[in-house]
Amino acid sequence: MDNAPTLESLQAALDAQQAVFQMHQSMNVEVFYWWCTAIMIMIHAGFLAYEMGASRSKNALAAGIKNILALAVIIPTFYLFGWWIYNAFPNGFIPIEAAGALPWSTSMGPDVTDMGTGIFWAAFAMFGATTGSILSGAVIERIRVSAFLILTVFLGSVVWILAGAWGWHPDGWLLTKLGYHDVGASGVVHAVAGFFTLGVLINLGPRVGKFINGVAQTIAPHSLPMTLIGLMMIIFGFFGFLGGCIIFNGGETGWTTIYNNPTNLSAFAFNTLMGFAGGVIGCYIASRDPFWTMSGGLVGIISVAAGLDLYDPELAFIIAVVTGVLAVKFAKLIENFGIDDAVGAVAVHGFTGVWAVFLVGVFAAGMPNVGDLPPISFVGQTIGAIVMAAVGFIPGYGISLILKKANALRVPKEAEELGLDEVEIIAKPYPEVNGVPAVTSSDVPNKLANSEPGV
Amino acid sequence: MGTSISSWENVGAYFTFADNPVALGLFTLGAAVIIVGLIASIAKHENEAFEKIEK
Repeated sequence: MDNAPTLESLQAALDAQQAVFQMHQSMNVEVFYWWCTAIMIMIHAGFLAYEMGASRSKNALAAGIKNILALAVIIPTFYLFGWWIYNAFPNGFIPIEAAGALPWSTSMGPDVTDMGTGIFWAAFAMFGATTGSILSGAVIERIRVSAFLILTVFLGSVVWILAGAWGWHPDGWLLTKLGYHDVGASGVVHAVAGFFTLGVLINLGPRVGKFINGVAQTIAPHSLPMTLIGLMMIIFGFFGFLGGCIIFNGGETGWTTIYNNPTNLSAFAFNTLMGFAGGVIGCYIASRDPFWTMSGGLVGIISVAAGLDLYDPELAFIIAVVTGVLAVKFAKLIENFGIDDAVGAVAVHGFTGVWAVFLVGVFAAGMPNVGDLPPISFVGQTIGAIVMAAVGFIPGYGISLILKKANALRVPKEAEELGLDEVEIIAKPYPEVNGVPAVTSSDVPNKLANSEPGV
Repeated sequence: MGTSISSWENVGAYFTFADNPVALGLFTLGAAVIIVGLIASIAKHENEAFEKIEK
């Protein structure tokens, strides 16, 4: 009987098992967000294809390089100050202590004891990159790349994440005061980005030839098929985006929303797919246009994303169909005001995002939040929707106005007419088509460019 | 050089210069300068390209 387990040895064995379990749970959290982040990269592959396709061939590579650089500047700037803004500003404009999120903090790097900060930072950085890229498509073919990068850094690493601190943070004032509900970021990402874009477009002005005697003309994409495939890639990436919007908790809690309300991926799955389908149908009915039909997938998902955890799937489908129709009407409306939004970003993201936040107040008012937080309300959601639009529009308009006054916002008319690839880019997208030989001599080994920069 | 730990016992943050706030501050500054420099260089390239077509 000397080998019989003692109470102490059983306790030690139990403790060891619990330590292993907890470590695996922490690793599972990391694995989940790692792959959400990876899938979100597909959003940017999609934006790249869709913007290049939406451009005329003379601007295809300029649109592409602008898009790639947006990703490259938002990631480090989100490290430098974006993550700190999220952690420091849940109460409004007065920061709280968040030293651990500053770039020189020891939390912001490899740490044996921290299996959360890096992976959450990465997911949020990709949310920021997505937000910054929403602006990118709308301004193609006439914005200066330098101006665009300044604007996208503000949008992707400052503006949206301030809105996120207010409405997408467990202590954000929109939640604690108004019960604000926006689980899939319809407001904090899409409404903010869409209305920021509207502010920029007002100052940027339309492309040459877009309006003749005040009548809007169609500027055809040079590759509509590439655009459609890009949009479908964005839809794929949305599953990483929305996966990143749910909180994978350790212990007995399981999945929660970012507001700590219980939910699960099954809820997200029902309504993401029903929203996608509804949006496609709505935009098709309203437009019969391939570009808008595919954009309808985005409209549909965004329209239900704010209440992704709450809606009956059939209600989500109906919301998405109706929003798809309304988004096309909204795009036509702003075009009638002389706004040239090359890809419909203001309607797809701005209008739909605001509308989605508002609809949660219509259909889910009274739904409780956890603890002492106020329940979801019509008034709270309406105020939240207005705040999101304003947080986007005001800095978008203001910063682009400053750039315009400095003559740093838009390319010269001659460059626009000639094509930005010809003027700025050291490569041609379709050299044989444009009469440039595909084989040229070069001093640079393996040089991919096929002509000299500029004229 | 740059190592913040000498053994893996009781280790937390272990990345290079984790125990050197001055170095981390300089790296932050360096990263910021690169971003600003990139945008400035693009603006310069654009100005030069646009000047060429105006001639």
